[in-house]
Amino acid sequence: MTQEHDLDEYLEQLWYMKEDEQTSVTALKRVLADKFDGVLLERLSVEGLAKISPDARNISLTSSGEAQARQLIRAHRLAERLLHDVLGSDVEKGACEFEHIVSLELVNSICTLLGHPKECPHGLPIPEGECCKRSEKTALSCVLPLNQLKLGASARIAYVKCQNDQQIHIMEGLCVRPGVVIKLHQNYPTYVIECEGAHIALDDAVAANISVWKDQQPSSQEAK
Amino acid sequence: MADKMTKTNNASLNVPLAIQNENGGIEKNSRKEGRMAEPSQDAPNKALIKKVAIIGLPNTGKSQLFNNLTGDYNIVANYPRTTIEVKRTLAKIEGQLYEIIDTPSLHSLYVHSEEEILVRDLIFEEHPDVIVQCIDALHYKQSLLLTADLLELETPVVIVITAIDEAARKGIAIDSKKLEEHLGVPVIESIAIRGTGDKQLKNAIAKARKSKANIKYGFKIESAIIDVMAVLPLEMVFKFKTAVLLLLTDPFFEKFLEKKHGKVMLDGVRKEIGKTRRQFQDRIRQEIHGKRHQWVDQISEGTVKKEESARGFSYYFAQATRHPIWGIPILFFFIAIVYLTVVDAAKYIDRPINQYFVNPILMFITLLKLPVFWNDFLIGNHGVLTLGLLNAICTVLPILTVFFFIYGFFEDCGYIANFSVLTKRIFEKLGVTGKAITSIVLAFGCKTMATLTTKGLTSYKEKFITNFLILFAIPCSVQLGINIAILGKFGMSASLIAFGTLAILEIVAGLVLNVIIKDKGENYFIQVLPEMRLPSLKAVCVKTYYRIVWFLQEAIPIFVISAVALFVADKIGLLNGLKHLLNPLMVGWMGLPSSMVDVFILAFARREAAAGLIYKMVDAGALTYIQSIVAVVITTIFYPCFASVIALSKEMGVKTAVVMSILFIVVSFSFAGILNWLLFFAIHGFKII
Repeated sequence: MTQEHDLDEYLEQLWYMKEDEQTSVTALKRVLADKFDGVLLERLSVEGLAKISPDARNISLTSSGEAQARQLIRAHRLAERLLHDVLGSDVEKGACEFEHIVSLELVNSICTLLGHPKECPHGLPIPEGECCKRSEKTALSCVLPLNQLKLGASARIAYVKCQNDQQIHIMEGLCVRPGVVIKLHQNYPTYVIECEGAHIALDDAVAANISVWKDQQPSSQEAK
Repeated sequence: MADKMTKTNNASLNVPLAIQNENGGIEKNSRKEGRMAEPSQDAPNKALIKKVAIIGLPNTGKSQLFNNLTGDYNIVANYPRTTIEVKRTLAKIEGQLYEIIDTPSLHSLYVHSEEEILVRDLIFEEHPDVIVQCIDALHYKQSLLLTADLLELETPVVIVITAIDEAARKGIAIDSKKLEEHLGVPVIESIAIRGTGDKQLKNAIAKARKSKANIKYGFKIESAIIDVMAVLPLEMVFKFKTAVLLLLTDPFFEKFLEKKHGKVMLDGVRKEIGKTRRQFQDRIRQEIHGKRHQWVDQISEGTVKKEESARGFSYYFAQATRHPIWGIPILFFFIAIVYLTVVDAAKYIDRPINQYFVNPILMFITLLKLPVFWNDFLIGNHGVLTLGLLNAICTVLPILTVFFFIYGFFEDCGYIANFSVLTKRIFEKLGVTGKAITSIVLAFGCKTMATLTTKGLTSYKEKFITNFLILFAIPCSVQLGINIAILGKFGMSASLIAFGTLAILEIVAGLVLNVIIKDKGENYFIQVLPEMRLPSLKAVCVKTYYRIVWFLQEAIPIFVISAVALFVADKIGLLNGLKHLLNPLMVGWMGLPSSMVDVFILAFARREAAAGLIYKMVDAGALTYIQSIVAVVITTIFYPCFASVIALSKEMGVKTAVVMSILFIVVSFSFAGILNWLLFFAIHGFKII
């Protein structure tokens, strides 16, 4: 059982390395530090999850290894989203256990519940699941994009997706960020929201990238 | 099982960090001393004049504060980005000479746009002795984010809270005493427009002391910051903030460092940052932002009280002005006010000025019976007085005064940003989105300024189209004012035709350019809307006064010089030759009198000089209905004033500026002819030919 866990850990690390376009075994050793175990590495290769180069210097995921790692990363980052957005708690501590214990169905449900987020709270991409491909809107979802919010309604921001770094900083600077309550004043010719006392005009694309919690009536104090 | 996992997981992260922390600890002490010692070392060099930089979010009253502190004047208005260039003035505060610096807006030291780079570079190059931050009480949290940045510079900061009266009306009360305790720097409440709080501010500037940043980033990030600081050059100021900015990956800032400290240093820094970033798996940015927001929330919670208060008239009115249905009648209502006031005021001012001022002067000079040459030089068709001084002072100035006054009201009431929301869909069709819309709206004020605000546009296509539209068929405030007065003499229909034509031209130009120029750039529109407020009469008067003074200073020499130039050209026969040459074009094609050549030459120098001459010609009955409309349209497009062409070549390069100018001339001449004949047939039918 423990070994299964460690195997998962290896797969996740290899996924991170893939994201960084790295393949060196030394780098893997460095990250895993004292947890590094040659036997496990061997097992990855034997089970056809990873490919190790003949000179034992480079390692990369095979397609089946990648599929498995993808599920793990997806679960991990969705868990982070869940903890961060819903519970507002420290992301790292709870989430690192999560991916080992949830079923595929459960992961998809959480994904739908959160409205198929594209990024974890750290801004890293969440791999797309079947549920994301099948449908963008499911009855279960409790998050909706700002452009579907009723005019005049207030809602708490769940998360904000930005086109680029610059936009992230602009939004952060305007306090348009998760947890903040905004009020939608207008949706044509542009979206106009009230956020922390300021009126801000946004175009459609920006508004569509702001997701808010549905059916959560903030108290009047906060709505202001 | 769970226990083991957590442990191993943490271990994998902690091993490299533990080593760093040991190094970091040692570094921290020595560095900190080094940093503290620096300012005092160069203190004697700049003891004579100290620098005070006024910094703040857009539309937070920086310029008003600047004016209050210096007694100088920088344009104040209720829309973001009124100030786009740095302005400096010396002022004595409590016996010490200070250079007060008014700056364009800044959201955070991690910059969003080119204009903001200007401000940040100023801070990092000049190391102001005191930073005064303007905080708009209505945008409190957003401002505190900037405060966090400024405090981290570890330079003396003074906070000024503006718009407290307005915030109070909205049920927002900020406890400045508590804020002062939280931040450890002086906090002053101000109603800048009335000068309340100026005394305390001056006092605080004189006594400003170094402040301390107290944001807790947590152990990991703080040691990462220290590691980056360790590879920065020893003599560098603002090391802490520099390290934070570098960890946030600010490409502009890396460029700035490379320029200042060389590539070798930057490469070292990049290596260090790369290391840290791998450790954090790229989440350092979110972590830093998160901590900063936490800090802001904490302070805001302890210092602000909000009460439910009734939404005032301005709240609903602001909503109405940008409403897709209600916004339109409001827009026309505003246009009608401008039109009627300018036209009527021009009529009433005109007569007495001519009767009691201009005519007596002309009479007096005629009675002197000067030799013909001198008589012509003074009061001839191209006289220094008639075309120069009197044109500027007696024709242009009165209309401008009225127009500036009304325009000032619009600027201060906060309508302009809402106008850009209302018209966004139209502009989008023309290939102009996002910030560019505000730039175009600003062109109705001053084209040169509007051109300079396109600095922040990143897509070439949008920048080109925006600049083209700014300089093409939009009359700037000066010209608009006089054009309204000219057309007003022929009734409403003349204005409708002329301005309608200009609007159509502008739209067609945008549509065509949008199709011709291919470029996909990422664009988005995020615009903070200023509060609508009833402008202060005094502030508008002051603004009008300064605009007039600047107009007189800038324009009169040019008016006089161009009059002399025309006079000389006339005397040596050049003007007649030119008129002869242009006759087919001028008279045949455009149906204008050949004396209009003078107007075109003046238009190169200053647009209002040309418009002023047209106005006089209309007054004298020298132009017909059609001719006036054609003249107004052509002079609006014909050639953007010299200053705006210079600004254009600064933004887009000399080549583009030249090509655009030629294009404007060609389009204006060909179009004026078409308009002339269209109007001719519309009015007279085909029979006459």
